[in-house]
Amino acid sequence: MNNLQRKLLRDLAASKGLFLAVSAIIFLGVAFFGASFMAFQNLKASYDYSYERLHFADFTVKVAEAPQETVNKLEAISGVKAVTGRMNADIPLKLPGGSVKTLLARAISLPSTSHPAVNDVKVEAGSYFREELENSLLVEKSFAEHHKLKPGDTVSLTVDSQEVSFRVAGIVTSPEYIFAAKSRQELLVSPETFGVVFVPQSVVASLMGKPVINEFCVTIDDGADRAGIINQVEEILTPYGVIDVVSSDEQPSNAALELDLQEFGEMAEVFPFLFLIIGALATYILLTRIVHNQRAQIGVMRAVGYSRRQVLIHYLSFALIIGIVGSITGTVAGYLLSETMTTLYITILKLPFTLMETHWMAMEEGIFIGIVPCLIAGILPAYAASRIHPAEAMRTPPPTGGRRLLLERLFPFLTRLSSLWKMPLRNIFRNRRRSLSIIIGVAFGTSLILVSAAFIDSVEAILGLQFDQIQRYDAQITFAQPQPTTLTTKVQEWSEVTEAQPVLKIPSRLEHEGNTYSTLTVGILSDSELYGLYSMSGEQTKVTGDGIMLGEALQETLDIDTGDVVTLHTASGLNQLKVAGFIKQPMGSLGYVTLNQAQKLAGDEDIISGLMLSVNPQHIDDIRGKAFQMPVVASVELTAESRAIVSDLFDLIDTMMWIMLGFGAALALAIVLTMVTVSILERRREIATMRTMGYSKGKLAAMLTIENLFLGLVGLILGIPLGYGLALYFFSLFQTDMISFDLVIFTHTYVLTAGLIILIVLISQVPGIRHLNRLELARVIKEQVS
Amino acid sequence: MAAKGNIQINLSQVSKTYPMGMVKVEALKGVSLEIKEGEFLVIMGPSGSGKTTLLNLVGGIDSATSGSISVDDTDITTMDERELTNYRRNHIGFVFQFFNLIPTLTAKENVEFATELVKEPRDTMAVLEEVGLKERAAHYPSELSGGEQQRVAIARALAKDPPILLCDEPTGELDFETGKHILNMLRMANEKNRKTVLLVTHNTAIGEIAHRVVRLRSGEIIEVKQNERPIDPQELKW
Ligand SMILES: Nc1ncnc2c1ncn2[C@@H]1O[C@H](COP(=O)(O)OP(=O)(O)O)[C@@H](O)[C@H]1O
Ligand SMILES: [Mg+2]
Repeated sequence: MNNLQRKLLRDLAASKGLFLAVSAIIFLGVAFFGASFMAFQNLKASYDYSYERLHFADFTVKVAEAPQETVNKLEAISGVKAVTGRMNADIPLKLPGGSVKTLLARAISLPSTSHPAVNDVKVEAGSYFREELENSLLVEKSFAEHHKLKPGDTVSLTVDSQEVSFRVAGIVTSPEYIFAAKSRQELLVSPETFGVVFVPQSVVASLMGKPVINEFCVTIDDGADRAGIINQVEEILTPYGVIDVVSSDEQPSNAALELDLQEFGEMAEVFPFLFLIIGALATYILLTRIVHNQRAQIGVMRAVGYSRRQVLIHYLSFALIIGIVGSITGTVAGYLLSETMTTLYITILKLPFTLMETHWMAMEEGIFIGIVPCLIAGILPAYAASRIHPAEAMRTPPPTGGRRLLLERLFPFLTRLSSLWKMPLRNIFRNRRRSLSIIIGVAFGTSLILVSAAFIDSVEAILGLQFDQIQRYDAQITFAQPQPTTLTTKVQEWSEVTEAQPVLKIPSRLEHEGNTYSTLTVGILSDSELYGLYSMSGEQTKVTGDGIMLGEALQETLDIDTGDVVTLHTASGLNQLKVAGFIKQPMGSLGYVTLNQAQKLAGDEDIISGLMLSVNPQHIDDIRGKAFQMPVVASVELTAESRAIVSDLFDLIDTMMWIMLGFGAALALAIVLTMVTVSILERRREIATMRTMGYSKGKLAAMLTIENLFLGLVGLILGIPLGYGLALYFFSLFQTDMISFDLVIFTHTYVLTAGLIILIVLISQVPGIRHLNRLELARVIKEQVS
Repeated sequence: MAAKGNIQINLSQVSKTYPMGMVKVEALKGVSLEIKEGEFLVIMGPSGSGKTTLLNLVGGIDSATSGSISVDDTDITTMDERELTNYRRNHIGFVFQFFNLIPTLTAKENVEFATELVKEPRDTMAVLEEVGLKERAAHYPSELSGGEQQRVAIARALAKDPPILLCDEPTGELDFETGKHILNMLRMANEKNRKTVLLVTHNTAIGEIAHRVVRLRSGEIIEVKQNERPIDPQELKW
């Protein structure tokens, strides 16, 4: 080590607090990037690998009914890799152990002896169907775990109102149900009410009397023209009544995962960027101060014979070391955090295969993005250092400041302020770059805190909207087949039930100018107290019998507006309805009409498909059992349960947002701490002089506090709209038909954010002020001006 | 006793003007001066007369507005930045009024900080011993007195073994006894190691130890005085 390097290290050690604070900013940015980017890559790789290994369908076509041979016709289309035909039906399922629990199961048929060529399953426990086991089935893992189903247990399915027993042969994971969504409308469903099981094709055939298929899952060759193939497939299947074509990107589980991945990807880009800008700014300020303070030393270096290049590299090294320290520790922390995040995900999602790799590329990128901003920030001060004129540098510099501010010339009354106010004001304008850094640092920190708080608030708001305002019923019964309207009065008479209201849900495909969307049209009572509808501006609204109300996301999906006419394709034909308006729908996108309208659409004036119930609180646990005493009941949804499952899923987001909030607060602290300390250190002579003039420590501390609080406040004021804008941007990602978040930030959140920022500013001053209080006046004043 | 070497430093019609807003400060006005190898030259003059400017120009840390300066028959006014850096490295040892040591390096390290730049430096400890600081080698500047710091600065200049020493008021910050000690050291460097010494001071008494005294006023040489018998620094009184 030569003495120039030794000087570098000793200089770093002399101001290690500052260097560490600036490195911490880089650390946070790189760690954030590493964690989100590596988690993103872990998840993406795991999804892709699972899809590949289990031959996830490129698209699936639902038809009314088709013969088995159709599969061969589809396979003959050029570009088609493989086709699996299967039966897919939602049917009632009874759990073992004499429990009265019945729920809706999605029963999907699979080849009896071999694995399917498309949409395969991975056996996690037990085995695939075995010939010797007559009626065996496979249970999807999340459902099995929830109900503690093990291989060997017995469950029964109701096929054609006939109860059939099945032995659980195996527990499986499926590429279609990594995220166990029922549909795009019902993305978040409780395993209490819904689960997926797989049954052997042979059993289905014998139960139905013939081998029938109502769904085709297709994989295509790499690079094949998907749209073209879909057209050909649809043409072949037209005679069998095409109901829906779902491509892999619309497939509910995959779409939900994609949405999530996208959020990760964006987060990995946007937030670290903020950190690194701040990190660069802090590096710049710190290095500028060092170069300024070492002017005379630079003069000597040059006089002794050090070259410009050596001086440049010497000062650039300060920035480089900040970058290296921050980015290497940040990468390690990011790696560890990404593993935690991935593991957290895996406990919620049922991934057939997980790949947790060491992402060297991401690490290199992390180190790169940590170091580069520091170098860029360092180049200017380092270059300035190398250009310092040695003769000039060793003359004592002219005193700075002392000028009257433009502000004071404009507003003469300012000069009459007491020094307690005047000094901070002057200082703010005297070093604009430093003031600006504090402002920007606080603003970015504020916005980060606010974005994370916005997520936390919005999740709370969405739960409130969905489960307190919209879904006001305590339980909803869904019937296996349509029932007469009179059933409502019968159920109303149950002692457990305080109110029962009819619902009729009709599967329908909405169409407007070539855009289509498959959903449910829901008929409810116009004055329904158990189901609330809210207009986009938040007021309560209702179905009037005139037209259809659509979920908010459909405005864009269908490219439709209030007053336009939408075409409804239902089992009983085509209907045209005027769009009466749009309503808030956090989860799913449905259409709403009056019960009468729905019954007309269904072609039967006297049917309902379910009942919404308001239940006596003390009987809430009995209502399911009671409902299942009626033979026609397919499932009973309890709102409290739904709320719990949604809330559990959002817990994950919440956890990450709290981490992010911590990062935001840490960022604000690190930047303000650095800047405030630099600013105090720069003024030690001046402050010492003021002390000898009779200013008390307390008064000086008060002046500094006023100055920093003022800057913090400006940063806060700028940071709030910035954070709001950023939150809006992130929330725009969540405006889909599956889930749509409204940005909600509670008033108390603003207050708490402001409080937190002010606290951070106050804490940031402590080291600087303590340093001043320990100053030995005589020594500082005698210090050579440098 | 006059120095009797060859002409080593030759200033010819050297001027230096500093722009100061609208006005120009003429720090040196057409100064011509020949300095011999091994000469001990004292430059005197009131504050602001251009002494430091002259020294800085010879040391290659400032550039003349006009005129030429040649050192060992090479014109340093036409040198580019790289050549100037090499020139400072190999030809010049600076000693400043305010010592200008690197505060985060020890005495020994401060000397090595300079010697690391040259091919054949002198032994650091030997030089520190010469200035009487061998025991203080591991001390930081803040742990040394002003006189000791200036001795480190002299050691730093000497250790590179340059032919020319440029000293700008090296005793300005020091008390009488310490100052004498420093001057003695410079005199030794001049006599024993054959260094050419240019020493700036505004203390008239110090002129007596020089071979020649040049007086500046308002950027012009107003007097050059040859000392027939330079006295020993020990005999100085002020
Ligand atoms: N960088 C500069 N800008 C403007 N004027 C300067 C600068 N450096 C020196 N001067 C002026 O040049 C003149 C000579 O300065 P200097 O050589 O330092 O004098 P001395 O060392 O004899 O006191 C003085 O009037 C001084 O004010
Ligand atoms: Mg001077």
